[in-house]
Amino acid sequence: MIEGILIGLSTALTLTNLVMVLMGCLVGTFIGMLPGLGPMSAIALMIPIAASLEPSAGIILMAAVYYGAIFGGSTSSILINAPGVASTVATSFDGYPLAKQGKAGKALAIAAYSSFSGGVIAAIFLLIAAPSLAYVSLSFQSTDYFALMVLGLSAVAAFAGKGNVVKALLMTVVGLMLSTVGTDQTQGVQRFTFGALDLLDGISFLLLVMATFALSEALLAILKPKTDADRLREMEAQRNLGSMAVSKAEVGEMAPVIGRSSVIGFLIGVLPGAGATIASFLAYGMEQRLAGPTKGAAFGHGSVRGLSAPETANNAAATGSFVPLLTLGIPGSGTTAIMLGALIGYGIQPGPRLYIDQPDVFWSVIVSMWIGNIILLILNLPLIPYIARVLAIPGQILLPLIIFFSLIGVYFVSFNTFDIHLMIWFAIAAVILRLLDFPMAPMILGFILGAMMEENLRRALLINNDSWSFLWERPLTAGILALAAVVLIAPVLLGALRRRRA
Amino acid sequence: MTILSKDRVGAMLLLAFCVGYGVMSQEIRMLPFQMNAAFHARTMPEALSVLGIVLALMLLIFPGSDTKPVLRGYNWLTAALVILLMFAYALTVRPAGFLLATTLFLMVGFALLGERRPLVLVGASAPIVVGFWLLMSEVLDVYVAPLPAFLGR
Repeated sequence: MIEGILIGLSTALTLTNLVMVLMGCLVGTFIGMLPGLGPMSAIALMIPIAASLEPSAGIILMAAVYYGAIFGGSTSSILINAPGVASTVATSFDGYPLAKQGKAGKALAIAAYSSFSGGVIAAIFLLIAAPSLAYVSLSFQSTDYFALMVLGLSAVAAFAGKGNVVKALLMTVVGLMLSTVGTDQTQGVQRFTFGALDLLDGISFLLLVMATFALSEALLAILKPKTDADRLREMEAQRNLGSMAVSKAEVGEMAPVIGRSSVIGFLIGVLPGAGATIASFLAYGMEQRLAGPTKGAAFGHGSVRGLSAPETANNAAATGSFVPLLTLGIPGSGTTAIMLGALIGYGIQPGPRLYIDQPDVFWSVIVSMWIGNIILLILNLPLIPYIARVLAIPGQILLPLIIFFSLIGVYFVSFNTFDIHLMIWFAIAAVILRLLDFPMAPMILGFILGAMMEENLRRALLINNDSWSFLWERPLTAGILALAAVVLIAPVLLGALRRRRA
Repeated sequence: MTILSKDRVGAMLLLAFCVGYGVMSQEIRMLPFQMNAAFHARTMPEALSVLGIVLALMLLIFPGSDTKPVLRGYNWLTAALVILLMFAYALTVRPAGFLLATTLFLMVGFALLGERRPLVLVGASAPIVVGFWLLMSEVLDVYVAPLPAFLGR
């Protein structure tokens, strides 16, 4: 391992690769901050540049863009409540309320420190445990993956809040329904395509996220004109971010959250298909439960814990998602799927032999994660007040720009105007549902997990000769499903108990 | 108790969606041998439509809140015009070319939202569009036709 770190250091610390990390972090932050352009679009846009570089330099550039874009996404989530990606949706739950309270600088600093800690801690885990963790995910079977996804979906109850559990579950089901649009992977049958060729590949994840978050946010801002007081307060939040200092008490509050969220984020990130979104939501839900009734009630209203947990977890998961990518050749998220394509383009086949055949690529990516996180903290954090000026543009100018970046972000992936039309319809539906107080995040979670859930369930049934007994006969599957049931039922039971005591 | 609360209106809309989804799931065409599989292309959609209908009915019968939907105080007209503008952009971005279609989209968008200064209308749209196009085509090698076809692209 020491030898590997030295190989990684000698490769990552070359001038070219350092420039790549620096450039990637800055470009990623800038692109990620623009609502509508998240890490997936940012990395996709970087592929032409990366293709002209050495494999290690190209992968380092894309990894840096990835981190930068996640960091930038958090900034737009906090300042204007417009997460460009699903993994920073949970960040906006408490980040935006903090910004509305005039503590935008503090929120950005908490997000940056949490991201940095999550990324660095997870990179240490990755370094120490990469080979053995690969074995852990290898031991998972389809049945366990299915159970894990049920657990992820039932976690929506954890962040739905009182009286909203059924709404959250209903929205999850809607997301699962949307994931079934397109060609069925196993039988090759078309489902809900209405004969349209544009729907054969299903609905793009990016399209749905942009429509339900960035675009619907812009439309809601047009629908609900801000009062002068609101406008003044927001301009104040964006122009004068407030102090970026974090108090000792807040650091004390963040420390255990960072520790727990790093572990949960990394472990979720390692599991192929899980990724940063589930990690951020699970960490948020877990911390809300652990915080107890008094501090838990502050979640959603500007809680330091509520901001720190998803920020730590999404960065830790982003690092963790490199484990299945580099050691098994399975992408842990949509973003790493794009990176897998880029690696294959270089003629590199990720998998167990990557250690042996191209150790410089493997180790330099891991070492560059540390360097990238350090650069994000020492360079981007002081620059954020200046970069964030882009968000201090008046509404009548900013809103059409957000709409433009959202539309064009999706269009530049497919070059198909059908996607723009579909996106507008989804945005209209999202606006109606949001006006009726229906949450969008559970739908996105359902959509992300839908296809994988169906595939794993189908595979599990095939392996078990069409018998459903695997649900209770395999201890790991049964354990995860039992945990899912607890997550779903516990809030209801605890609420009933509390009412009885009161 | 409010009969038409936000939860109930949403539940009715989603109930209609789930019922429609369930009906359309029966139109998924499969070959006879595919129908015989224990888990086929219709299994998940059927299960989801049942689950969706049950949850929507639960929400309809036991709504979480009694808040009434409010229709007043919103800029419906401006929002509708912006939506139409987006559709127009989708229709024109190819035939009119990226530069022209996007500049017009932004200028009309700014104007719809209340910007009246001609210098701002032009200054906040044209340089951004040209800069973005240059970044895409010259730096990132992502080509989008800048001009209409009759101008030679």
